[in-house]
Amino acid sequence: MRGVGWIVGILVLSGMGQAAEPLQPPGFRPTPPGVHALVGARVYTQPGSVFSNATVVIRDGRIAAVGTEITPPPDARVWNLAGQTVYAGFIDPYLSLSRTNRPVTIGMDEDTSGTGRQARATDGGGGYRFFGVTGQEADPGQTGPGANLNAVTPERRTSQSWSPSTKDLEDLRELGLTAGNIVPTHGIIRGQSAVATLGEDSPGTSLLSLDPTRGTAQHIAFEVPGGEGVFPNSLMGTIAAIRQAYWDARWWGEAQAAFLKNPQSAARPPVNPALEALQLSLGSQPIMVEPGGGLMAERARHLAQELGWSPHLIVVASGGEWRRPDLIEPSRNAYIVPLDFPALPKFPKDEGWEDVDLDLLRSWDWAPENPAVLRRAGATIALTTHGLGDRKEFRKNLIAALDRGLSPTDALAALTTIPAQFCQLGSLLGTLEAGKIANLTVCDSKGYFDPDGKVLSVWIQGRPYVVTPPEDAAEKKEAKPKTDAATTKAPTEKTDASGKEQKDAARKQELRDLARKRVAESPLAGRGVLTNPPALLIRGATIWTCGPQGILTNASLLVRNGRIEQVGTVESTGPVHEIDARGLHVTPGLLDAHSHSMIVGGVNEGSLPSSAMVRIGDVVNSETPNIHQQLAGGLTIANLLHGSANPIGGQNQVIKLRSGASPEGLKFTNAPGGIKFALGENVKQANWGDKFTTRFPQTRMGVPTFIGNRFTAAQQYAATWKAWRDGGQKGVAPRRNLELDAIVEILEGTRLIHCHSYRQDEILAFLRLMESFGVRVATLQHILEGYKVADEIARHGAGASAFADWWAYKYEVIDAIPYAGALMQDRGVVVSFNSDSSDHARRLNFEAAKGMKYGGMSREAALNLVTLNPAKQLRVDRWVGSLEPGKDADLVVWSGDPLDSSSVCLQTWIEGRQYFSRSRESERAAALQRERDGLLAKARRLSGDGGSDGASPGAREKFFRRALEQARHLGVENCQDCLLPRNP
Amino acid sequence: MTARPTLPLLPLIASALVALDARAETLLLQNAILHPITGPEIPSGHLLVRDGRIVTVGTGTSTPTADTTIDLKGHHVFPGLIAPTTVLGLQEIDAVRATRDTTESGEYTPDVYSWKAVNPDSELIPVARANGYTHAQPIPIGGIVGGQSAAMTLTGWTIEDMAFRQDVGLHVNWPGFGLDTTPKERAANKDSWKSPEDQIKAREKRLRQIDDFFTEAEAYAKAKAANGPGFAVIPAWEAVLPVVRKEVPLFLHANEQRQIRSAIEWAARRQYRAVLAGGRDAWRLADLLATHKVPVVYEHVFTETLRDTEPYDVHFTAPSVLAKAGVEVSFSEGTDRFGASNVRNIPYAAAQARAFGLPVLEAHRGLTLYPARVLGIADRVGTLEPGKDATFFVVDGDILDLRAHVERMWIAGREVSLESRHTRLYDRYRQRPRK
Repeated sequence: MRGVGWIVGILVLSGMGQAAEPLQPPGFRPTPPGVHALVGARVYTQPGSVFSNATVVIRDGRIAAVGTEITPPPDARVWNLAGQTVYAGFIDPYLSLSRTNRPVTIGMDEDTSGTGRQARATDGGGGYRFFGVTGQEADPGQTGPGANLNAVTPERRTSQSWSPSTKDLEDLRELGLTAGNIVPTHGIIRGQSAVATLGEDSPGTSLLSLDPTRGTAQHIAFEVPGGEGVFPNSLMGTIAAIRQAYWDARWWGEAQAAFLKNPQSAARPPVNPALEALQLSLGSQPIMVEPGGGLMAERARHLAQELGWSPHLIVVASGGEWRRPDLIEPSRNAYIVPLDFPALPKFPKDEGWEDVDLDLLRSWDWAPENPAVLRRAGATIALTTHGLGDRKEFRKNLIAALDRGLSPTDALAALTTIPAQFCQLGSLLGTLEAGKIANLTVCDSKGYFDPDGKVLSVWIQGRPYVVTPPEDAAEKKEAKPKTDAATTKAPTEKTDASGKEQKDAARKQELRDLARKRVAESPLAGRGVLTNPPALLIRGATIWTCGPQGILTNASLLVRNGRIEQVGTVESTGPVHEIDARGLHVTPGLLDAHSHSMIVGGVNEGSLPSSAMVRIGDVVNSETPNIHQQLAGGLTIANLLHGSANPIGGQNQVIKLRSGASPEGLKFTNAPGGIKFALGENVKQANWGDKFTTRFPQTRMGVPTFIGNRFTAAQQYAATWKAWRDGGQKGVAPRRNLELDAIVEILEGTRLIHCHSYRQDEILAFLRLMESFGVRVATLQHILEGYKVADEIARHGAGASAFADWWAYKYEVIDAIPYAGALMQDRGVVVSFNSDSSDHARRLNFEAAKGMKYGGMSREAALNLVTLNPAKQLRVDRWVGSLEPGKDADLVVWSGDPLDSSSVCLQTWIEGRQYFSRSRESERAAALQRERDGLLAKARRLSGDGGSDGASPGAREKFFRRALEQARHLGVENCQDCLLPRNP
Repeated sequence: MTARPTLPLLPLIASALVALDARAETLLLQNAILHPITGPEIPSGHLLVRDGRIVTVGTGTSTPTADTTIDLKGHHVFPGLIAPTTVLGLQEIDAVRATRDTTESGEYTPDVYSWKAVNPDSELIPVARANGYTHAQPIPIGGIVGGQSAAMTLTGWTIEDMAFRQDVGLHVNWPGFGLDTTPKERAANKDSWKSPEDQIKAREKRLRQIDDFFTEAEAYAKAKAANGPGFAVIPAWEAVLPVVRKEVPLFLHANEQRQIRSAIEWAARRQYRAVLAGGRDAWRLADLLATHKVPVVYEHVFTETLRDTEPYDVHFTAPSVLAKAGVEVSFSEGTDRFGASNVRNIPYAAAQARAFGLPVLEAHRGLTLYPARVLGIADRVGTLEPGKDATFFVVDGDILDLRAHVERMWIAGREVSLESRHTRLYDRYRQRPRK
C-alpha cells in the first residue's frame, strides 16, 4: 500500500455536535483555532501501515482525514512535519497513578504491618466473621454498605477521583503517551478503571467512555494485604476471598432480580453496592487481573471458568512468563506487559556477587526478552509503564525488549491498537483514521523504536503538547561539538576527544550487543521426564512389593503404559527399556502424608479459626527445587497440607512429583479431597505471643466447641440447600458459603479429615465429636500421644500419620516417644511416618527404618510406613503404595536395602517415566554452575563497564526481588509445626 | 539383622547409675565385634576392664579371666559417642522459654560457663545415652565471644560429677558475610535496614573489634605475668587466657565460605588453636582447613541445599570431600530447636555421609575420636585402647545402622542405665489393658 495514492474521504462532522469552544471572556488567552493540517510527515496509520509525506487533518478534536493526497483545508493551521514520524497516540492500558507504581508481589517478605482492613458488615462478599479475631472487633473498617473485606471494593471507580496533577501528565506525555486506563491500585477486588486522555482538559472532558454506567474493567489482584491475624493473610486466602465474593455476587444478582419482580413477596437482599458492581464483570465487563506470577496467571484463568467471569480476561504479566511459556495459554491470551526490568546492582566489593544466585541472574537476563516470549507463545500484548519505579526507563527498556526479539510492529500495536481494544475503545483510539479522537504521538525521523529517536510532541484531543521544543531538538545535534570546543583548546586534544567519542560509541555498541545476547537458559531445561520408554523391564532386583508378594529376590518387574504389568517372573515382552538391577533393590515410590514443600504464598490462612474455604490446590508450586530434592530421595507422592494455625484449616492437595509439570499437572487427580484440622497449642495460639489472646478458642475446652459449632452450622446449611432442591429448586438458590461447603462435604463423607493432634485428651474428644456427627477421621497427623489411646483410634478407624521420633520441641510433646508408631500398629492402627519438613521428605526410608529400631517392626512393616500405609490413609492404595499388577508404576531403584543407611536412591520413576537419575546429577549441577558462571561474567562486564549506569534505584532493587515460586528462603516450606510464631 | 539374639539386660533401677560399684572389680567382654576406632574392627575380640579403665583390647585367642564375664555373642562394642556442639542439658523444651538456658545476652561474654547450667536431671540426657552417647559438649550460643564450653559426662548426680572437662574452649560467632539485599521498602523492619555498603562497613568494624578484643586479652596476659602494681583481675580477660596461651581452642562458628575463610585466616594469623563449628560450606575450603590443621564440627549434613547451582547431595558429600583433603570431621546436630533432642540421631548424619562417600572408619571416628580430640579429652575417651576409660556401649549392629539397638553401656567402668522417659512410657502403655 505504501506509496500508492490513497485518501480517506473527509468526514462530514455535522451531527458530532462539537463546534468551536465558547468564546472566552476578556483577559483569558483566546481559544486557538481547532483545525490543523499536519503535512510532510511519515505517518503510521496503524501497525504495519506507513505512508511517507502524508497529511493528517484534525478538526475540533477529531481526525478528519489522513492520506497522501490531501490538500490542507483552507481554514487549517498548517504544521510542517517534514522529517517527523507520526503514530496514533500511545495508550497505557494499566496506568497506575495514585500511591506508587508497585506491582503485585505476593511473598511473606512483604511488609505485613497493614491496618484497617476489617469486616465492616456481615452481609457483604468475601468475608467471614469469628469472635475475637485480632482487629475484627477493634476496627470497624470502612463505613457504609459493601463487602465484608476492605480489600474488596468493586464498586469503586477511578473516574470518581480522576484529577491528575499537571506534573504527572507531563511525565506521561514525555513518553509519548496520550491516553491511559487509570487503574485502582490497592486491594484484592479493587474496583473499576477509566480511560482518560492525558491533555490538560477538565477531568470530565479527558475521560473517555462509551458506557458511563461502568468502568473500563474490573480489577482483581492476587495481593495478600497482610496485617496480623486479618483475613486473608495468605495467597490461598486471597483466592478464597475472590471466589466467595463472586459466589455472593451471583446469589445477590438473582435475589435482587427476584425482589424487584415481586417486591411485596420476595425476600429482600441487603443493599450492597459491592455485589451490585460485580454483576458487571459477570456479564461483559472485562476483568484485568494482576496475578503477581506466572503460576497465578494460570490460576486466574481457572477462576474465570469456575466463577463465570466475563470472557474478556486480561492478565497483567508478572515479568516471569519466560519461566513457563507453556502456561501462556493461546486461547485466553491477552496480556498487559510491564517493562519493569531489573538492573544490575552495584556492589561495593566484588565478593557481593557471591550473594547472587542463578535464579536472580536468570531473572535479570530473561527480563527484556519476556515480551517477545509472550508474543512467540501467541499472546496478544499491550505495554504499560506500570511497575516502573521511574517511568523514564520505559523507552530504554522498550529498546531492550526490541533488541531481544520484540518486533517494532508488535511494539507499535502494543502501544496503540491492542490497548485500545483492551479498553473497548477501538472505535475512538488506536489508529489514525477519520472519526477517531485526534491523539497523536510525534517523533523525529528516527521514530519511537530507535534508541536515539525522540518524542517531539503529542496531540491530545486535537491539541498539541510540545515534548521536545524544536530549538532543543535542533540544538542538541550541535550541542556536543560546541561544548567540546568550549572546553578544549589545543586542536590535538580535540582530535583525542573525538577519538574518545568514537571509542565511547564503539563501547556502547559492544555493551548493547552483549546485553542483547541471552546467556540464561530456561528453567525447564534439564527438568522433567528423563526417560519415557514404552515399556520398562527391571531384572534381577530385590523387589519390596509392599503387597501380598512380600519381598522378592532376584525378581523382575515389567511396566507398560505407565502401569505395572507383571511382578516376580516376567513373561516374554517385546521391545523394552531394560534395567539390570542385580544387587539393587526396588520399592514403590515413597509417599509423604504430611508435606508443605510445594506451596506458594503461605502455608497457613491462620487469621481465622476456620479457613475451610481455602484450597492448597490453588497454590501448588510446580517450580520449587524441593521437587527435585525429594525425588532424589525416592519420594513420588506428597500430601500438601494447610498449616496448623487453626482448628479447621484449609483443603489439602495430593500431588505426584512429576517434575516439570504445571501445578495442575502435578495434581494426583485420583486422590479424594481432604482438609486439614488441628488441635492443641497451635490452634489455641499458645506460642503466638501476648497479642493473640482473644480469638476463640483459647483452650482445649474451646476447640471441640468451635468445631462442633461449625459442623452444626454446616448441617443447617445443608438442610437449607436440601429443602431448596426438594422443593423443585424454586426461587432463588440459597447463598453459597464456601467454608460450610467444605464441611458439608466432610459430613457427606467425600472430604477426608487430616487432623494435627498431640495429646490423648484432645484426640479422644475430637474422635468422639466426629463420631457424634457420623464422621470418620481419615488420619490423625503427628499424633504424638496416640499410643496412649491406640485402641480407641483403631476402633474409630482413623489412620495415624506420625513423626518417627520428634519430641521435646514444645510442651505438648513432652510425652512423645519414638515407640508410638509400633505401639499403635500393634493395636491395629494403620500407621505412616511423615516428614512435615522439606529435609525429612528427602529420606523417608530412613524415618521408616526407625520403626524397626523402636518397637521392633518387621522390615516389611517398616517400609509400609512410607509406602502402602500412607497410600491407604490417603485412600489412593488402589493406584499406588505397592508394586502390584495394575497399579501405577511409581517406583524407586536403590543401591541396596532401602532401610539400610548406607543405601542411596539411584532412580525414581513415576507412571513409567524416569524423573530422577543419580548418575546424571553431577552433569546437571555442572551445567547450572556453568550457566551461572557465564551469567556472572556477563553481569560483571556490563556492571563494570557502566552498562547499567543510570539505572533507577527501583530497578536495581528489583534485581533482588525473587519470584514468588522461588522464594525458598521464606521458610514457609519447612517444618510447619516448628515455625509458628514464638513467644519472644 | 533382625534375627540377632538379644542380650540379657541387667536389672535396671531408676537412677542412671547402677548401684553396684563395679570399679574395684574386673570385667571381661568377650566374643564381641570390637570397634577400637584406632584401626579396623576386630571381628571377635575381648575387652578387659579394671578399675574403670580398659586393660586389654584383644583378639579372641587368649582370653583373660575376670570377676564378671559377659559373652557378647557377636554384638558390637563402640567407644562412647561424643556430641561436639550441642545444647543438651541447657534446653529442655524449646517452645517453653523457662526451660531454655542456651543464649546469654551481651556481645562479649567469655566468662559465661556452660557446665554451670546443665540440668543433670534433664529428660533429654538419658535419651541421648540410649543411642550410645556418653559425652557431650553443651555450648553457649549467644553473642560474638559467647563463652566457655565444657565436656560433660552424660551421667552423674551433680554438675560436678558430670563436668568431665570444664574448660574445653571459647566460642566465637564469626560475623556473617552474606548481604541482606532486601530493598528498604520491603524490609520487615525499616528502622534497622542497612544498605549493602553499610552492612559491609558494620561487618568490618565488627571484625576489627574482635581482633582488638584478642589483642587486649594478650595485653592483659602480659600485664598479669608482669604482675606490676595496680594490676587488677578482670574475670572476662581471665576467661580468655587459656586461648591466648594456646591451651584451649577457639570454636569459630561459621557456615558461609567467605565467613569461614575470614575466620580461619584470622586464627592462623594469630596462631590460635581453632575448631570450625557449623562449617556448611567448609568443603569449598577443604585445602585451607587441611593446611591449617583445623578440624571441623560439621552440623549440616541434612541442611537443604542453599545455592540453586549445587547438586542435591552437596551437604551429604561434604564430609567426604573434607576427609579426602585430610580434615578431621566430627558430626553434630547443631544447636537449633532440635539440637538437644536429636543428639541421638547424630550417628545418622555420619551414616548419610558414609552413604555418600565417607569411609566407614572416618564416619565412626567422626562420632568418637575426632570429637574427643576437638574437646581435648582424647587421652581418656574416644577409642578402645588400654589405659583409656572403660567408656563404651554394646549394640546389635553398626551404630550407623538405623535399625540397630544399643543394649548396654559403661561409663568409666560403671554400667549405666539406658532407661529413659521414652522407655518408661513405652513400657507403661504397652501394658495398658486392651480395650
